Order: sequence, then structure tokens, then C-alpha cells
Amino acid sequence: MKFITLRKMTIGLAAAFTFGGAAGASAETLRVGMECTYAPFNFRTSDGELVGYDVDVAKGVAEIIGADLEYVCQQWDGMIPALLANKFDLIVASMSITNSRMEKIDFSSPYRDSVGRLVGRKGMDKELFDSAGSPIAANFAGLRIGLERASTYESWFNATLPDADIVLYDGSEPLYLDLVNGRVDAIMTNPMKAHLRFLAKEEGSDYQFVSPAISEVEYFGIGVGIGLRQGQLELKARLDGAIKKLINDGKLTEYALKYFPFPIHNEEWGDS
Amino acid sequence: MEALVGWWDDYFWGSVVVAQVFICSLVLMVIFGLIGAAAKLSNSVIAQKLANGYTIVFRGTPEILVILLLYFGSAIALTSIAQIFNPEVKFLDVPPFWAGTIAIALIVGSYATETFRGAFLGVNPGSIEAARALGMSNLQTFIYVRIPEMWRLALPAFGNHMLSLIKDTALISIIGLNETLFVAKQAIGTTGEPFIMYIVVGMIYLAFSTVITLTVMGLERYGQRHMVNVR
Repeated sequence: MKFITLRKMTIGLAAAFTFGGAAGASAETLRVGMECTYAPFNFRTSDGELVGYDVDVAKGVAEIIGADLEYVCQQWDGMIPALLANKFDLIVASMSITNSRMEKIDFSSPYRDSVGRLVGRKGMDKELFDSAGSPIAANFAGLRIGLERASTYESWFNATLPDADIVLYDGSEPLYLDLVNGRVDAIMTNPMKAHLRFLAKEEGSDYQFVSPAISEVEYFGIGVGIGLRQGQLELKARLDGAIKKLINDGKLTEYALKYFPFPIHNEEWGDS
Repeated sequence: MEALVGWWDDYFWGSVVVAQVFICSLVLMVIFGLIGAAAKLSNSVIAQKLANGYTIVFRGTPEILVILLLYFGSAIALTSIAQIFNPEVKFLDVPPFWAGTIAIALIVGSYATETFRGAFLGVNPGSIEAARALGMSNLQTFIYVRIPEMWRLALPAFGNHMLSLIKDTALISIIGLNETLFVAKQAIGTTGEPFIMYIVVGMIYLAFSTVITLTVMGLERYGQRHMVNVR
């Protein structure tokens, strides 16, 4: 695969401006945008293979709707602009279905839960959440919180806890670095990812979840879906059908159990 | 170090991409720089204004912004232009390799414009008068007198431009070009070892820039081989 990419690159300026997207007689190829750095959902192994829960879902969907896949690695904050600029056709990158994103793009039905959870040092001196699980705003004042730019976590914090001192990062890896460095007091991220990538490891042994799982639909959406450009009703219907089939066939559970001890979707999504 | 096992081949291919971007953008940068300098030195007011606009815009905006604008903007702009002529076209794309290469060539080319302009002005008028006296045409004067003399003057600054160019290639990772920094980001995502992965990238770039520096030193010596009592 690498050889092909390299050869493509060296063909030259004349061939650089390629026509694409025109309907061909052969099997349809869907280009899928993802970060390629967001383990365990989409990441590249040292063998150069893209794997993860998102990748499995993309493959499963493609098989059902009979399309070929091509992957495009794209940094998170440019994901929607790149979709709109036709750099790829689908976003399968753990993107939550939110109202503000729906203004620009469409989503398939959900294929994964969308939750966030705060991670902080063990023995933080302030209680951040009361026993009912609501944040105590006063204790967040001046607290430095690391978040990924353009994420659901950022919009939730801006709306719910404006007094917190928010530090934004490109990508999820720097969050853990600066949490360990002490530049931020806590970070908010996907709990499944935080557990695998950080808390279960040596470097994360001094840290723990310091909040309950937060999944307010208004900010976190009903779940994680496949993003596509607006107005493609037929494609959306095929994606929705494929995701339901993956749920009903138990495939999503199978994909999740590769990485987590539990499924990470809602069985009810498969019913209707 | 065990974290690196299996990533070496990715770093190698990433380095090949860096080298490809560097060579393509170097060629384009020299072309842009020479055109810019020629325009600035020409008698045409329009050409001067255009070249001034070029250097003001590309020297005065952040490099990362130029790359992003070219990558996202070019696809949308090209598509709408193409659809005027052929409504069948769904989209036209500029791949990250060329969007990034052209972007950094334009940026560094704007600096090179000033370097080349200064170097052309630094050519000894006596040499040109001598060439005229020998009956050389304008073109012959340009090729045999102006370029060789100007080249020697431009080399030190040009070496710096080449170093900027090689380092700017790292910026292209943000638009998804699979070069060494991008490989590092992917490797970090999997291994969770940021320092080792970034240090490898640093070593690769140091190796590239060392080769460039030594090459420029050699070229400078070559350019001054006829000069007696220089330095």
C-alpha cells in the first residue's frame, strides 16, 4: 500500500489535480476520514495497519452496503472542513452526533455511546461533583482543565462550567502528557480510552476518574455516528440500515469486546 | 527503545516523503524566487506591484495558515471553477503532497525573491559593462555573467532558505501527509511513548539539515574557486 501511495505522489504536477467522485461502473469506493491516532478506536499499528473499533465499524458497514474503503488520516479539528471540502466521503472517527455539528453535516444513526469523564490526580483536595453527580461550580473556579479542541467536552465545559480555566489541545495524546507534567489539574476525555491508554498503565497509576460519566444529550448527543455531507439521503439510509444490522447480528458487541470488557453501544438502537 | 520496534520502516518511508517534498519544493522555490526577483527588477510597474504583493502576502502570513488555506481552499475553488466548464465534475482535489509542497515553496520563494533581488543588484556593474564591451547579447550576459556572480552572493542566504524549507516540511503533517512527524503521532497514539518518537523525528531532521549545510559549504567553496584573496 505504501508503494502505491509513494508512486502516486511521484507521478507529477500534471497528474496531481485528479478528477474524482464521478460515478464509475465498478464498485463504489468510499473514502473514510479518521484521526489514525485515537487508540483504541482508530489507530495505526507498527505494521502500518489501521485498526480499532471505528475501523471495524467502517469495514462492517462497507461490507454490508457493498463498497470499497479508502482511509484518509486527518487531524481532528479539520475533520468537518475536510469532509465539506470533499477530501473524503465519510467521517468514522468517534464523532458524537451533536446539534451544532448537524448544522454542517449529517450523521448516520449511532454506533457507540458518547460519554465524557474527568481524570485527575488521586487525592485531589476539592470535591468536584456532589453525591447526585452534578458538578459543583465553585470548586471548578480557576481549576485548569485540559480538553481537546473542537470536542464535545469543550462545548460541555463552556456551557456548564465557564469558571474553569480551560486549556485546549490538538489531539488527545498531549492531554495525558500535560496532566502528568502538572500543567493541567484534570482532563476530560472518553473514559474507555482514558482507561486503556492511561489509567491502566504505570504512568497513570497516580490518577483516577474524578467525575461520574457525563452524557448530557444536549452536548454529547445521542451517541457517536458516521458523518456525511448533507443531502445524501440515500447513502444515509444505507448506512443506518447497515449499523442496525451490525447491532442485531451482534457484530458491534464483538468489535467492542476486542478492546473493552463490555459493549459500548445501546442495544435499543438496533430495534426500530 | 523497544517501543520503536516495527516503526523503523514507517520512519524510513516518512523520510522518503520528506525528501520528496524538499526536492519538489526546492525546485519550485527557486523558480518562484527567480520570477519574483525578475519582476521586482523589471521596468514594468505592474510586474513590480505584483511581485511586491507576493512578498508582502507570503512573508507576512503564518506558514501554517498558507498550508491550510491552500489545502482546503484549493479543492473548493478548483471545483467551482471546473464546474463552470463541465457541470459533470463532482470535485477536483489537490492532494496533501502538492498542496503542502506548493505552499511552502510559495512561502520560502517569497524570501528567496528578496535574496535573489539583492544578489542581482550586487553584481559588479563593471562586469556587465565588460560583457557589453565584448559584444555579448543581453541573454549571454545574463547566463555567463549575471547568474554566476549573483549565485555566489545569494548562496549564504539561500542555504538558510533551504534549512527553512526542510523544517517547513514538518508542517505538512497537519494536512495528513504521511511524513515523519505524522508517523510519530501515529506511533504515539499506539505506544504512548511521545519522547522517543519525537526524538527520532528530531534526529531525522538533524541529518537532513546537516547534509544541506555541508552541501552549501561545498557550493560556496566552489563558487569562490576563481577568487583570489577572498577572506
